Amino acid sequence: MEASTPTAPRPAAAAHGDETIVRCRDVHKSFGAIQAVRGASFDINRGECFGLLGPNGAGKSTIISLIYGAASRGGGDLTVFGLDPATRSRRIKERLGVVTQDNALDEDMGVRSNMMMYARCLGIPRRERRARVDALLEEMALLHRADATIKALSGGMQRRLVFVRALLGRPDLLILDEPTTGLDPAVRLLLWEKVREMKRRGVTLLLTTHYMDEAERLCDRLVIMDQGAIRAGGSPRNLIREHCPGMVAHFDPDPDLRRQLLDTAEADASLHFGEDSAGLYIRAPDLHCLDLLIRRLGLNPGMIRPANLEDVFLAITGKELSADA
Amino acid sequence: MLETLRLSWRLTLRHWDVYRQNLLPNIAPTVSDPVFFLLALGIGLGAYLHEMEGRTYLHFLAPGLAMATAFWTAFFESSYGFFIRHTYEGIYKAVLTTPIGPREVIIGEFIWVALKGAGMASGVTLVLLVAGVIEWVWLPLVPVTGALIALTCGSIGFIATAFVKNINQFQTVYALVINPVFFFSGIFFPIGGTPALIQVLVWCSPLYHGVRIGQAALWNEAVPATLLLHGPPLLAFTAILVPLAGRLIRPKLYQ
Repeated sequence: MEASTPTAPRPAAAAHGDETIVRCRDVHKSFGAIQAVRGASFDINRGECFGLLGPNGAGKSTIISLIYGAASRGGGDLTVFGLDPATRSRRIKERLGVVTQDNALDEDMGVRSNMMMYARCLGIPRRERRARVDALLEEMALLHRADATIKALSGGMQRRLVFVRALLGRPDLLILDEPTTGLDPAVRLLLWEKVREMKRRGVTLLLTTHYMDEAERLCDRLVIMDQGAIRAGGSPRNLIREHCPGMVAHFDPDPDLRRQLLDTAEADASLHFGEDSAGLYIRAPDLHCLDLLIRRLGLNPGMIRPANLEDVFLAITGKELSADA
Repeated sequence: MLETLRLSWRLTLRHWDVYRQNLLPNIAPTVSDPVFFLLALGIGLGAYLHEMEGRTYLHFLAPGLAMATAFWTAFFESSYGFFIRHTYEGIYKAVLTTPIGPREVIIGEFIWVALKGAGMASGVTLVLLVAGVIEWVWLPLVPVTGALIALTCGSIGFIATAFVKNINQFQTVYALVINPVFFFSGIFFPIGGTPALIQVLVWCSPLYHGVRIGQAALWNEAVPATLLLHGPPLLAFTAILVPLAGRLIRPKLYQ
């Protein structure tokens, strides 16, 4: 068991630990008058989980389309496995798997025939197809539904089947475009575990999400996108440390309390007061400071939590990440 | 090019996989449709017509209706069929994440349309052969002509798909393009007796040339001369319309 799921990257991956899988430099893309991507630059290294975090319409999915050659870029340089997707997308797509944002499962076919068809599209030899499909269905706990129709599957099962499809070609780069949007917590946890396992196997991962907790848990590094532009980048921990370190206390909306917190924050530069759709909050550099503040003012916070990427997004863009998600 | 064809063929096989799941229910209406047309018009209307171009009306109608099967099947496959697969089912989204690209999708669609057209025209022809209303000598011309009719008409369907905003707009294409082409293609009456303007317009219809070849073949009458006269225009329409349709439909698969 230990040997089949090593915690360290494969030797081959370790030997090329810093190899750049995706290199993106000042990439632009417009749809008519809409600038979907405005000068994006980043590198994705072999074996890491890289995230594109941002609200809907930030340009995340457009970057994904550019990476596997489903769209033509307006400008800039982009290479994937050292190849330009504008001219070599076929070679690139031989090495990547995509968990598409929409399931896009073929409803004209059953579960197994669906996967057999994609296996053929991927060029998996005929005699290997069935075994590979069934092994992945088993891994995703779907083998018992192999003969079911797509419509008979629950939302979570369909999503798992999309993972099967993405993994059929044994990809070196796995792209996850909003992999858990609209799923219940149990399925999210299961898919997150799957993603971690892929990472342990040495697969490079590119994840887009508008869930900050998903990005924080899974990504080694990420960039924060808003309105087609990259606004910040780094590891989740460093982004938090850099932009909004500390602890946050939340309160229900109340005009008097709002006045009190605002005055307190204005008097002390180490404190940050804010309002979001859930109510009021105040951020202090650490738990000790926050605790002192709460005692001094006799407050009764609804929740105390460490600062997270949601706060980073708000600090950088002035908007809530989840507000329009 | 060989790899492009191999990848395209994988998409064609997907359509075949889906089609053969319900083979009989899929084939039955395509074959029965022209057969009922033939019975109603050939026997019903034919009873009032002594002859047309020296043969009974039933014999006159039969080859043209067989060839028109390729026309109809190609139109529905490239318009409603493609639109549903693309917009409602979204199957290309996932297919395009595999080594198959937009070009291969388009070629794979055309191969499917051509094969289906050839197969359907041949199927109806076989029924007519059993019924004894056609000649068999030039039978091998049927699938080839059927495929060419399907490619040209499939192109019209794909071009329509490139422009329609929603699926209901195909009805307009059906009413204003497909139906007139069907009725003025020499299937129901010889074009020679119509006004000059109509004759010129009919010459611009790929179906007409396909029908003429089918009639010559299945009546076993002046086949080489008909091939010389109508083969080149049919090939020319194919050579023009297929690349044009491919180019117009491509933005649906690639942004």
